Amino acid sequence: MAAAVAPVLRCSVLQRRPLRCGPGLRPVPGAGAALRPCSSRVAQEGINKPVIDRIIRVDHAGEYGANRIYAGQMAVLGRSAVGPVIQQMWNQEKNHLKKFNELMVAYRVRPTVLLPFWNVAGFVLGAGSALLGKKGAMACTVAVEESISEHYNNQIRTLIEEDPEKYKELLQVIKQFRDEEQEHHDIGLEHDAEATPAYSVLKTAIQLGCKAAIFLSERI
Amino acid sequence: MIVTVLSNPNHSRAVNCSLQRQHSQLPAGPARSGSQRPGNAPAARDAPAAQGCGPTAVVRCQQYPPLRALQASAALRGASDEHKKEPWASSSQQHFDSPPAGHQPEQKPQGPHPSYTGQGGQESEDYESEEQLQHRILTAALEFVPEHGWTAEAIAEGAKTLGLSVAAAGLFHSDGSELILHFVSECNTKLSELLKKEQKLVQLGEAEKKPIDEFLRDAVEARLRMLIPYIEKWPQALSVLLLPRNIPSSLNLLTSMIDDIWHYAGDQSTDFNWYTRRAVLTAIYNTTELVMMQDSSPGFEDTWRFLENRVADAMTMSNTATQVQSTGEAVVQGLMGAAVTIKNLAGLNQRR
Repeated sequence: MAAAVAPVLRCSVLQRRPLRCGPGLRPVPGAGAALRPCSSRVAQEGINKPVIDRIIRVDHAGEYGANRIYAGQMAVLGRSAVGPVIQQMWNQEKNHLKKFNELMVAYRVRPTVLLPFWNVAGFVLGAGSALLGKKGAMACTVAVEESISEHYNNQIRTLIEEDPEKYKELLQVIKQFRDEEQEHHDIGLEHDAEATPAYSVLKTAIQLGCKAAIFLSERI
Repeated sequence: MIVTVLSNPNHSRAVNCSLQRQHSQLPAGPARSGSQRPGNAPAARDAPAAQGCGPTAVVRCQQYPPLRALQASAALRGASDEHKKEPWASSSQQHFDSPPAGHQPEQKPQGPHPSYTGQGGQESEDYESEEQLQHRILTAALEFVPEHGWTAEAIAEGAKTLGLSVAAAGLFHSDGSELILHFVSECNTKLSELLKKEQKLVQLGEAEKKPIDEFLRDAVEARLRMLIPYIEKWPQALSVLLLPRNIPSSLNLLTSMIDDIWHYAGDQSTDFNWYTRRAVLTAIYNTTELVMMQDSSPGFEDTWRFLENRVADAMTMSNTATQVQSTGEAVVQGLMGAAVTIKNLAGLNQRR
């Protein structure tokens, strides 16, 4: 009997948050915190906490990283002709980050541990690509924004599969941000991103880095 | 009749039906015989003809998911005495080996005693899950912990007060892990509710918002006071919580409690501060808990004083960190200013 109970305990401990708040059904004690009554733990009842957690955490990390990339680019190209363009894109990213900060507090999501790392890595990527010139900076923008747009699209798909009504607000936010990232991507292309020497190599490398960053930020 | 069973593609369900009827006849006893139960299983409602006829009853039975087969069989049993006869017995015996494995999992979720759910399959309010039962036993066991410690004896005593056999303690590990985790979980829930109530009072304007250090102090003190009735046996509990098997659960409980306290303290950090704050509070909580184990002062005054000092240290540390950071920034700006001045003086700062 005890042997049968142990796997149940293990399984419920692995669940980080309650998937539903069953009326009157109290959880197995070993899973205590993971399955407590919902009211103190979520912004809204009945949401799929693990999925939303991941989405908000990785999006927050992404916007934070994008912020730092533009900061790096501005540090090098701020006083050049393309400075105002980059500044404008940077301002939009700042808005995105602000929004995700609010969502993070509302849903009580833990930020990723790797934030200090993304801080440095983002700045280095931005500054490094800007040192390749205006085209290099734009190529970096194109690569990153393409990754992010695809990533947002995946999240939109996930949320729609879950429950479009329940996550309406979040869906709206992500859709709007995806559209703006797409705009940035197009601006990058307009400014001769593809004319960069070794464009495809640069683009592939940056997109690989983005994928790794997304994978890690979702989990850690 | 048997031909009908064999030729039907869903015959396995029909066999389950009769198999379970066989099984459930055993504990059911004389109370089950006789007229149709008023709390009807759907089988009976949908198949009034089933009362009269064997083959039709088999066909009806097949249409329902296996979990309902138990009620179907109960209804069939209740329908008429004619059906408790050789034709059923022989047909079930012939197909006995067909799905006994399929039969088992259906029995399990119904609970330890089929009689609880036999007729009452629809009455889910009366049905108690295994988790709820375990919860009740562990809650009852807590009052015996000061005497017996966090052991199977306490659980057995708890089970006895609920009118269950002492063998119910066999549901749990012998080292009392589940009992301790249950207790910790209950304490955390109580703390959450307490903090939420306080927050509501502040929102309604009936109470002052406490400064952070006082809030943290009060929250940790409230949580630690819940240990006082069990303080004698708590060191034993701490060592059990540190068993590798229990570490994921106990860590989970600890981190969510600390997160709760910070949430109600008004923490809205979204950067690495999130981790720093929680780490600091966890350290404060754990050290204060250990001090409490050793404390023999009246009313645990020494512990509360220790707690106050630690929280004050943490506040000082965070202030110092902020000061160091702003000093550092000021120094960097000073250096940059000096560099620009030198560039200007040397005439190197030409506008491009």
